[in-house]
Amino acid sequence: MLDVQKVKQRIAELRKLPGIAPKSISEILEENGFTRRDFLKWSGALAVTLGLPASFAPVVAEAAEVSDRLPVVWLHLAECTGCSESLLRTDAPTIDDLIFNYINLQYHDTIMAAAGWQAEENYEDALEKFKGRYVLCVEGGVPTKDGGEYLTIGPHAETGLHKLKRTAKDAAAIIAVGTCSSFGGIQAAAPNPTGAKGIHKVLSKPVINVPGCPPSAKNIVGTIVYVILFGQLPAVDNFNRPKFAYGLRIHDLCERRGHFDAGEFVEEFGSEEAMNGFCLYKKGCKGPYTFNNCSRERFNQHTSWPVQAGHGCIGCSEPDFWDSMAPYEEPLANHKFSSVSADATADKVGITILTVAGVAIAAHAAISAIKNPKE
Amino acid sequence: MKITKKIITKIEGEATLKIHKKNNIIEFAEIEFWQYRGMEEFLKNRPYMDACVINPRVCGICGHSHLIATSKAIEDALDVKITKKAEILRDITLGLEIIQNHIKWFYLTLYPSVKSKDYFKALEFTKEISKIIALIAGQFPHNSYSIPGGVTCDLTNLEIIKIKNYLLELFNKYQHIMDIEGKSNDLEELFSDIPKTTGKGLNRFLVLGDNLFFKSNGDVKYIKEEKSTSLNKNVMYKDKYFEVGPLARNLDNKIIKKVYETFTDSVYTRIFARLYEVNLIFLYLLKIIDKIEINEKNYTKPLKKSGKGIGVVEAPRGSLIHEIEIENGFVKKYNIIVPTQFNLSNSTKENPSPAQSALMNEDEKLSDFIFKCFDICAVCVSH
Repeated sequence: MLDVQKVKQRIAELRKLPGIAPKSISEILEENGFTRRDFLKWSGALAVTLGLPASFAPVVAEAAEVSDRLPVVWLHLAECTGCSESLLRTDAPTIDDLIFNYINLQYHDTIMAAAGWQAEENYEDALEKFKGRYVLCVEGGVPTKDGGEYLTIGPHAETGLHKLKRTAKDAAAIIAVGTCSSFGGIQAAAPNPTGAKGIHKVLSKPVINVPGCPPSAKNIVGTIVYVILFGQLPAVDNFNRPKFAYGLRIHDLCERRGHFDAGEFVEEFGSEEAMNGFCLYKKGCKGPYTFNNCSRERFNQHTSWPVQAGHGCIGCSEPDFWDSMAPYEEPLANHKFSSVSADATADKVGITILTVAGVAIAAHAAISAIKNPKE
Repeated sequence: MKITKKIITKIEGEATLKIHKKNNIIEFAEIEFWQYRGMEEFLKNRPYMDACVINPRVCGICGHSHLIATSKAIEDALDVKITKKAEILRDITLGLEIIQNHIKWFYLTLYPSVKSKDYFKALEFTKEISKIIALIAGQFPHNSYSIPGGVTCDLTNLEIIKIKNYLLELFNKYQHIMDIEGKSNDLEELFSDIPKTTGKGLNRFLVLGDNLFFKSNGDVKYIKEEKSTSLNKNVMYKDKYFEVGPLARNLDNKIIKKVYETFTDSVYTRIFARLYEVNLIFLYLLKIIDKIEINEKNYTKPLKKSGKGIGVVEAPRGSLIHEIEIENGFVKKYNIIVPTQFNLSNSTKENPSPAQSALMNEDEKLSDFIFKCFDICAVCVSH
């Protein structure tokens, strides 16, 4: 059970520790034109995202205020920076940005002020000073082939693998941000030329996975705040994904779900069915097999998401989706395994994807096509 | 002579600069990238449609350009012609990607290499811009709405009006960063104690894409890729190095040309062109959005199953080239050439690349700044 008293006690203890930021979060918010009321509203919204009772809203605010006691160290491995990009677009008002930058500013490669040698020094300093206290966020998969030499970082040409292990050793919590660090990602697609892996494969500590390509900013910030709040990892599913975000399938809350149930499918892009917003299952939508909150939270300040723009879900928050969900524009049930690279992963697909539910969904699509009253 | 090694970070990855110097003046600089992912390898033997999902992941900053280059390469290979409407929608999203990239680059990457600046200004912009892209493409970064043959979205009139309003609002807001006359307080402040003639490039420019209002001045068939000393590849055009990017493609604009004539292809001119391009793109988008025929088709189905094709677009950082070979619906060969390869090839002192030339004979203190004025993307290079 969630105990407000316990959380409050924890925050009080954190408050005693020295922070890393020169100013307090209330000062920074005030300088940027946010009122206390805005801040509390934000806390309430975040509490809801995390699936906490409303009574937790003020505690979330308090946790945000002491967030700089547990600095976040952000490590970039083999990746495209898309996850950081996603983060830089967190919800309006920009309280998320402020708070995130506040806890993280000095050790994030893309947005920190320092660069070059200076950045490297900051990094080492942080590891020493906050030993056992910092939260490690990793963006990108870790190349392991040939001792990891496909990725070297910094002035000493250290391999990504070595830097990751070294940093993880004294981290209070480890969060894998995005599909690359969670499951290897695009680098790990067959034939996986660099031997890229998800970070949990090379570490012996628990890793919380926030997959997605990119994951929504809400899920990233939510997970970090949760760790700060409770000093423990949130409840997770069998792939170590936080349940508050990855508890439901895309399909469950999809706006096109009604069309699926009615057996109304898009068979071709640009067709009348597509214009009517019918279900995209037959154009390869992987929503029925993918656990994520895109259909509920959407992206870019709740503006839209891929299915709304007429393209099926590609299943980007599932393990090995680069192989198991391909071809992306065909339903999984038609999976032919015709390519050389796909053959190697056919076994994995059997385990992770084609569950009883998957077969039933394909059957539904086939049967409803026959009895579709419109034909 | 002394050689120092310098690590350049905050370029969406990192690069190594080996600086040969005498009395702190750079005589020559070697540029190295030490990351590799092998993107072209896992495209092989997959259905060609998969390339549209995989390729944007080359880069999280300009992934959209990669998506559109992929669509264009496949269309070229399979002889598909897309409708005017699809073309306009692609121009809008790609144009917006360029705009948000430039603003972010200026405040998050370039400014901090000289002095500190409030970067929330940049974040405010990118947030609004990604909202517009999301209206058309579903999300940003990494969407899949552009497919060979057109686009998947079907915009309503209301959405078009919304987009137009957003564009106007942002354009007006941008006037505080750089106005239509080319005045920019932030840019002048940046150069308050740096000579505006610093960092001259090769004075040779290349434009290969023809999206938005850009006009190509070359032919892709003269492009040659060759091995470099680190994990990236050098790129030459007719056996010579050329500069690509906003300065190259906007030299016919009066205001940019005036700056160019005063300071030639210096760091200042390069930055000016990039910031001013934002104005030009806003104006162009506001013009073409009125030309959308809402009843026109979004998509034309490709009929052929095999072929060879090339897709070129002007991406935020310059000309981006995608080459594909399709056999019976499957990818046989794929090759990607990114703008950073043109500008940052690692060549010799006698025949330097644009960035090497810009660094030579300058104060070592400014090396970081000069290097970054090309808007480098190490992620793209390490594809």
